[in-house]
Amino acid sequence: MNKQIRRLTAALLACYLILFVQLNLLQVVKRDAIAANTNNNRAVLRDFDKPRGSIVTADRVVIASSQPTAPTDTKFKFQRVYPQGDLFANVSGYYTLAFGATKLEKKFTEVLAGRTSAQQLGNITNIFNGRDNTGSVRLTMRADLQQVSKDALADREGSVVVMDPRTGAVLAMYSNPTYDPNLVAVHDNKQAKIVLDFLNAYPGKPLLANAFQERYMPGSTFKIVTTATGIEDGLLTFDSFWPDETSYTPPQTTNPIENYGGEVCGGDLRTVFRRSCNTPFARTAVALGAEKMVAGAKAWGIGEPIPFDLPGGAVSHFGEVADFTDAIPKLAIRGFGQDEASIVPLQMAMFASTVANGGVMMKPYIVDATLDHSGKVLTQTVPAAWKTPISPNTAAMMNELMVGVVQNGTAKCCMQLANGVQAAAKTGTAQLNAKGQPQRSHAWITAFAPAEAPQYTVAVILKGTTDQISAGTGGKLAGPIAKTILDYALAHPLGS
Amino acid sequence: MQALTRRSTELGLIIMAGTITAAMYALASLGKNSTIPPVLVPFFLALLGLLLLAHFATRKLARGADATLLPLAAILNGIGYVMITRLNDHLAGLQTTWTFIAIAAYIGTLLVVQRVPDLARYKWTFFILGAGLLLLPLVPGVGRSVGGARIWVNFGLIKFQPGEFAKILLALFFAGYLAERRELIATSTWRIGRLRLPEPRHLLPLVLAWAFSVIVMVGQKDLGSSLLFFTLFVVMVWVATERAAFLVIGFALFAAAAYASFRMFAHVQDRVHIWLDPWSQYQGKGYQIVQGLFAMSDGGIAGTGLGQGHPTLIPAVQNDFIFAAIAEEMGLIGATGVLISFLLMVGAGMRIAVRAERTFEKLLAVGLTTLLGVQAFIIIGGVIRVVPLTGITLPFVSYGGSSLVANYILLALLMRVSDSTARRIGELPDDPTIVERWAAWKLRRRLGPSSKMSDADETIVWTPQEPSDMHPVT
Repeated sequence: MNKQIRRLTAALLACYLILFVQLNLLQVVKRDAIAANTNNNRAVLRDFDKPRGSIVTADRVVIASSQPTAPTDTKFKFQRVYPQGDLFANVSGYYTLAFGATKLEKKFTEVLAGRTSAQQLGNITNIFNGRDNTGSVRLTMRADLQQVSKDALADREGSVVVMDPRTGAVLAMYSNPTYDPNLVAVHDNKQAKIVLDFLNAYPGKPLLANAFQERYMPGSTFKIVTTATGIEDGLLTFDSFWPDETSYTPPQTTNPIENYGGEVCGGDLRTVFRRSCNTPFARTAVALGAEKMVAGAKAWGIGEPIPFDLPGGAVSHFGEVADFTDAIPKLAIRGFGQDEASIVPLQMAMFASTVANGGVMMKPYIVDATLDHSGKVLTQTVPAAWKTPISPNTAAMMNELMVGVVQNGTAKCCMQLANGVQAAAKTGTAQLNAKGQPQRSHAWITAFAPAEAPQYTVAVILKGTTDQISAGTGGKLAGPIAKTILDYALAHPLGS
Repeated sequence: MQALTRRSTELGLIIMAGTITAAMYALASLGKNSTIPPVLVPFFLALLGLLLLAHFATRKLARGADATLLPLAAILNGIGYVMITRLNDHLAGLQTTWTFIAIAAYIGTLLVVQRVPDLARYKWTFFILGAGLLLLPLVPGVGRSVGGARIWVNFGLIKFQPGEFAKILLALFFAGYLAERRELIATSTWRIGRLRLPEPRHLLPLVLAWAFSVIVMVGQKDLGSSLLFFTLFVVMVWVATERAAFLVIGFALFAAAAYASFRMFAHVQDRVHIWLDPWSQYQGKGYQIVQGLFAMSDGGIAGTGLGQGHPTLIPAVQNDFIFAAIAEEMGLIGATGVLISFLLMVGAGMRIAVRAERTFEKLLAVGLTTLLGVQAFIIIGGVIRVVPLTGITLPFVSYGGSSLVANYILLALLMRVSDSTARRIGELPDDPTIVERWAAWKLRRRLGPSSKMSDADETIVWTPQEPSDMHPVT
């Protein structure tokens, strides 16, 4: 019987050897293949067991951080929280188990998780003592300005962008509608999916940061670009003059272009700019011709992705030369910001910033620095110029024109700042309805202050307002919002 | 002397097993909650106390037994316990209770079964008990279906899996029956054409055993236990008769039954299809096994670290899939440790079988070791996709009272056989057991104080039941 027992033992040994071989296949040989299976979310789960760094504003307000879960939560050790609720959702984005990450959470995930090579090399000892190795992201944005922007916008649909024209640092950027990322970042995937589906279906696209992920018809605010292009070309000077008229019929059409409300409008450059007549700018665009207008728009970065910290930005649009060869009326209409011209709100703030900054358009940015777990700076954003669309001289002239808008033009009503600070602005009312339809328009303003030594730029868009359309509508609706923000910003410099 | 140092070896190994378990316990808590468990010291002392209790009971009751079996069981039990604690605090409390009961059952078995041949006398009792227990879950009102398999019985207060105990009783029966008739079965005198088979009356119990396996497979939908019983039966017949034909016939019969059930039952087909391709059924029946595979591959060589993986994503991880949790958190190294522990237990068990001199003891040791080794193989193989998955427990490791108690009883029986052999080959004196001493005392009293019997005479008077049980004359 012993012979059989020994054979049996050998057979069992062989069985266990098979187990050992298979175990090696699973845990070593095929490991990467199994990890790559689409259903395998173990890598994500591992991230949810580790802390993740914070996103902090310039005034040291935490907008995203990891909180240890209650001991009763056996599934994950950390929960991503957004203490400011919906205030920074468009910037922070969300970080979820099953639906990925967006915005800063996506772009800076390596830093936040502590996985950049700089963090890992610098903290080799932490691997052994198991200490938190996470990095953090410090923004240029200010929570107080963001809150003021949100409050000023109130429940109206639209976006606000506040920036420092000298550096391109974005100080506030808020859009309504938005959402609370805490509702999306829940560990319960089913619940997160319900919330995401709801937000995706919601009108006004709350998941999109409208301030830089959408573009809108600019209306008269586009006259900044047309005027500056004309001045750079030498076509326009302060002495340029347009006789009074109610309408202008460009070549290739019999349809006349009218001023707002069919008004009689004319005068020198200062007058037509502050009153925001349409016909002089239609004429200017036609006089410059498609090539110069398109080149002018491109000089301002229109048609090009804006270099920005956040992915997924929209691209402003004016058109190509070919679009206008047989369509001069389109060129005329787009010359004052109607038809298919469309501008990203962030870029609208950059227009005013360029004028404020002596003709240099800075690269916009919201991330001031990335820091490691000990607060040591990993990367620091250095302000950089993106484009120089106009000369300092042209910029000074544009500054003067925009001061005129505030002193005696379409923004006179609403942009008289506290303490007598002089603001410069351009308003816009982008007519959305066809003639004879109920009136709908985007109300715009882009402004900076103080005009003589600019510190802050604000761009405001109110989407699809239904007020009576006139040259002054944009200023009347968006102006008070810009004034509130500029007044606050000038009275409360960072750190006050 | 060799036999006497065995217990010291066991003591050293057991302290190691206890220390390793306590260290794992602390690590799991650190990994999960980043704290050293406050009860670490009491836990370590209680664990050590329990293990030492088992050790000293062995020292007293089975001094010559193998030195490695108890420490191996202790380390497997420890790994399982730490994993269960890490998975589910509530179950950990229950498993603590079950471990105490299991150790008590181990000591109790050593105490009650002091002479192995006694067991052979009760083989038919064991058969009836074993068959009864096996069929108990099929009794309406008592049997319970859990997760598709009808392997539970519920008597209100007591709930258990009778199959876990039935397997030991059937091993005892087979050992007794085959030890008695192995020659008769081996002689094939019944001719059917060119085939030569044993006499039908000798074959009948074996066919009955096969029938039981089929009943278990069909009636209780418990493929794992069915395979286990049948392997036990075929292996024991093969070893007893020394005829490989039984091996062939046995597995042919099983293959036929398995194929028939594959054709007849949807749940058997499911198991096979999931085994062949679990990936495409991730959302459905393959979910558990795929999650297990994800877990193990995520563990890699060194594992995620105790308390730092996600084994709770695997359904029923504390029972059938505990090996996947071990492989995830302790990696290939830890999983191989478990494999080697089982292999060492198989080796120790088979060594006991080879060393045993009497047929019954030999067959019993073979049967019990086969049960242990094959059961672990079936469930680990199921989890890592070597064989189709069948829901049975991993001995000593999985959560569950029936399994733990039954396996410690199995261990005690192996230890008893081992000790018995040590005494028989003279490694240590074959002192009379307490029962025998008591019987001797009663006899002495009946014979009166006048009887002048020397100690030597007494042993001769108390010849054990089998003549061959006498001491070798040295």
